[in-house]
Amino acid sequence: MAAIALFQQALWALNSAGEVVLLTLLVVRKNYRSYPAFSLYLLVDLTMGATAFFVYRLWGFDSATAYRIAWGTHGIVLFARALAVAEVCRHLLSRYRGVWALAWRILLLCAALVLCYSILAARHDWKLALLTADRGLGLSIATVIVVLLLFARYYDVKVDPVVRSLAIGFCLYSCFVVLNNTVLERWLHDYSALWNLLGMLAFLASLSIWTGALRHSQSEAQPKEILLPSGIYQAIAPEINLRLRLFNEQLTRFWKVEAGRS
Amino acid sequence: MNFFFYTFILAVAVLLFLLAWSLRAPRKRRASSLDPVSSLQDPGRRHATYLPQIRRALAPADFEFLTSHASRELTRRVGKERRRIALAYLSGVQEDFQRLLKLARVIAVLSPEVGAAQEFERLRLGVQFALRCHMIRAELFLGLAPLPQLSGLSQMVSGFAARIETAITELGERAALATELASSLERRGVDLS
Repeated sequence: MAAIALFQQALWALNSAGEVVLLTLLVVRKNYRSYPAFSLYLLVDLTMGATAFFVYRLWGFDSATAYRIAWGTHGIVLFARALAVAEVCRHLLSRYRGVWALAWRILLLCAALVLCYSILAARHDWKLALLTADRGLGLSIATVIVVLLLFARYYDVKVDPVVRSLAIGFCLYSCFVVLNNTVLERWLHDYSALWNLLGMLAFLASLSIWTGALRHSQSEAQPKEILLPSGIYQAIAPEINLRLRLFNEQLTRFWKVEAGRS
Repeated sequence: MNFFFYTFILAVAVLLFLLAWSLRAPRKRRASSLDPVSSLQDPGRRHATYLPQIRRALAPADFEFLTSHASRELTRRVGKERRRIALAYLSGVQEDFQRLLKLARVIAVLSPEVGAAQEFERLRLGVQFALRCHMIRAELFLGLAPLPQLSGLSQMVSGFAARIETAITELGERAALATELASSLERRGVDLS
């Protein structure tokens, strides 16, 4: 147990150092201009980590005050993370006005549905409320990123390597948060020592992915997309769908004939 | 509680699978085989345009004649060949369909407004088409589907292409639109390869 605690403290220091390095990179390479919400998320996470560290040192791990403050600061980090993920989504699709208008509504709906499910699936224990919220938001973020990447693939939108790395980092970390919190909820006492440690390891992995992606300068301004006149979509899309429908009907008839014969 | 525990684990597994799937590199195809712009510029290159030749090659009368006059070995070999041709042709028709579907997606990406209903319907129909093609392919492979039925598919694809071209021509400046599409795609990351 003492070894775990020591390793945990070392990992905490390593994560904080990693965040400082990444923040420095963001400032030096001026990438904070392209990714302000992501930079803010790192800054908030670093500040809240330091706050939690001092709170625990002051009141101890078992204190109720320390527990409330630490989880309260975690709520702020969650909010900042959600903003950073929204920024990733915007970077990927906002150039394509029509598709973006459709995508953000679907992404928001997905996030809300997943969050509702997570709340319904929780134990409804007030002590575990923040854990439940953490897991719910983690699952929502992972879902949003996966749906976003599926959108990009469906519409053949080229994903910028930095945006791709940010998305992968957030998604992997969020998936791990869900697993970690789910296991913790079930084996609360036996798992609590490992829970924090594994969480920090997962964050370190994501931090490495982000640092690798943001080590070079990014162009601040995105090139403006030249869009087609709106009449083209309105004229062609229904025509295409009508043909597809007819095509499918033909196939259905063919399938029925075959089923009848065999 | 057990149920919810496993649903969370399953959800994460599904999300990780979809993440890996969405990030995988697109399949390499011939440079212009799925280029919607070239399909606009050169409508004569479709597989569906070879329908009369394919229909002649797959005509049931020829096969019936062969069955009654030739040896079993020859009949079996010809049947196998016909099936191979039909499968290759089905792949070609599917490629035509995909090219046109891709054109629809490119237009959606470059449009300032898209209709959610239209997009969802196209997604649904595209999935339906792909599933049915797989079923027909399986039937052809097992020797259950009669070959001439394919002509229905081809006519539908060629009709579809012709109507899209007409719609674009009606809007005017077809060449300008094709050039605009091509340059927009090249400049701004819509991957056509």
